[in-house]
Amino acid sequence: MTAEVVGSRADVKRARLGDAILHSEISQFLAYESELLDDRKFHEWVEIVAEDFVYQVPTPRTPDSPFKPHYDDRSLLIDESRWSMTTQWFRRFDEDIYEAAWGENPPVRFRHLVTNVRVRLTDDPDVYEVRSNIALVGTRQSDLPKYITGERTDRIERRDGELILARRWVVLDQVVIDFPQLRILL
Amino acid sequence: MTMVEVPGEFTVPRRSWGDDEVFDREMQQIFRHCWQYVAHESEIPEPGDYVLRKMGRDQVIVVRDESGQVRVHLNTCRHRGVPLCRADSGNASHFRCSYHGWTYANTGELRGVTYQADVYGKGGLDKKKLPLFSPAQVDSELGLIFATWDPEAPSLRDYLGDILWYLQLIFGKHPNGMEVVGTPVRNIVKANWKTEGENLSGDGYHTTITHSSAFDLGLFATQKDLVKLADDVAPKFTGRTVDAGNGHTMRIQRLPLRLQGNHYFGYPKEMWAGFDRMLSPEQQQAMSCLSVGHGSVFPNMSFIENFKTNVDGPDLHARYARITVRYPIDATTSEQLWFFLAPKGADPEWARLSRLAYLRTNGPSGLFEIDDTENFVGISEASVGDVSRTLPVIIEGGKHHPEAPPELGWPGNVVDGDKTERTIRAFHRRWSELMDLPAGDAAGTGAAR
Ligand code: FES
Ligand SMILES: [Fe+2]
Repeated sequence: MTAEVVGSRADVKRARLGDAILHSEISQFLAYESELLDDRKFHEWVEIVAEDFVYQVPTPRTPDSPFKPHYDDRSLLIDESRWSMTTQWFRRFDEDIYEAAWGENPPVRFRHLVTNVRVRLTDDPDVYEVRSNIALVGTRQSDLPKYITGERTDRIERRDGELILARRWVVLDQVVIDFPQLRILL
Repeated sequence: MTMVEVPGEFTVPRRSWGDDEVFDREMQQIFRHCWQYVAHESEIPEPGDYVLRKMGRDQVIVVRDESGQVRVHLNTCRHRGVPLCRADSGNASHFRCSYHGWTYANTGELRGVTYQADVYGKGGLDKKKLPLFSPAQVDSELGLIFATWDPEAPSLRDYLGDILWYLQLIFGKHPNGMEVVGTPVRNIVKANWKTEGENLSGDGYHTTITHSSAFDLGLFATQKDLVKLADDVAPKFTGRTVDAGNGHTMRIQRLPLRLQGNHYFGYPKEMWAGFDRMLSPEQQQAMSCLSVGHGSVFPNMSFIENFKTNVDGPDLHARYARITVRYPIDATTSEQLWFFLAPKGADPEWARLSRLAYLRTNGPSGLFEIDDTENFVGISEASVGDVSRTLPVIIEGGKHHPEAPPELGWPGNVVDGDKTERTIRAFHRRWSELMDLPAGDAAGTGAAR
């Protein structure tokens, strides 16, 4: 499931990248998506996410060879679906629950910095594989901000003319993660 | 300033959660002597397989040598101290130092000293005297590998004592054994290394408050879920706590179902007969209708098996098993490792559900942990003030709880009741013994259970 999305680095050179208009459209989409997350507008975020959305973060590690990936996809840090995010994750921010959702109250302030967006075309004209670099900054209460970096591989699809996020896979760089909390939507 | 009056017979000074001197003493008195969990055998199945871990603040290589024996070595060259392993895991028959090239077999023996005759002269260096430095004892039970620096420490079996029976409930009931799934997640927690262990030792008191949102989200079995599991449902969950000696503790909470025979809800029915085979009747009784079983092996390892409901949709329930370890970094910082374990050869669809039950609740990104961690971090944050550090904590809960009936057959000191602090007292009683703090400093660690 993961291999098909992450792929091998060998395809970088011959990837068919999207044109400037498509790149701009998808970059805007990602910026808008980040805005919804930073503003904690989760009910609106869910609207631009596919019914069968999957969000996974494998466990970062330092492998014993530079030719092996610096993550282990047998064990995951995060494995969520649209259903679980709606009913378990975002639900904790709702008015009737948030007061006792101690970890989110007060919420960590997140800032998504998304750069180096690469849009790859696939065999299906309505499916794009979009890689980008992500820096997530998290500020808890009065603490100094902390940040975490990684590479996203998103599957973005056009359904009924609109772009939606169908899958997100994020490879982190930091092995011993030092961040205000690990319940993070990168 | 006069000492603040202690409102009970048992307390611990608050500075224990944020004081550098106490911390330094812990490193000497506890981490130089106690057995510590380093790895699970499934992480290093083949000769040469190794993982990098810590004992206290020391990094160690846990490696299976060519004869299949598990070895533990300090990850530092005997020459001038460069680490030998830089990867978190891998496979190596030898470790070669990057500085001057000394080479060690994975047994720890120093095999090669580069330009030995040139540098040290003939016979100038006895390689036999310079193996990698290793713990005095390494041993394993139920696939759990432990090590201690102390040659005088009791055997692992004696050290674990009665907690071994409880470890069997989780790690010894699968006919094909268990395996750690992949690389452990690691993270920094701005909390003293003891706080999470205290909680996992058996704090059934915090659950409904700290995790109140999880009830609203359906992740805890409610009457709605329970009536689908049994016709006869009691109104209240019941729990027991165990002081297993040596600072080791356990809590077992049962689903309030009145049922004949064993029902290992959260596992596929096909697995149940295997549990009956592997466990004694008393152990079966402890694991049947389990809501949660968790405990700690002193000083810094905790384990849990837990039944979580509706984890990937309505009526999709599963149990998971987890080990966590906390490495001390400084008085208010620790590194936490998270190991998810699965029975070998389990049905993949159930294994997936078990993983989700873990990750979405008590995994590193799980919502229970997010809420718990705020408490643990808060304790350290609020224990470094010049006044707050002088206050005692109150850990008197559950003293009136009755002893469990002896016919239950559970080892250790078992009490009916889990809204209690007795497991935390058990941890701190052992902690105080080992710390041997100057009189008056260990404010009143009375003998009350
Ligand atoms: S420090 Fe290792 S060979 Fe010199
Ligand atoms: Fe908790």
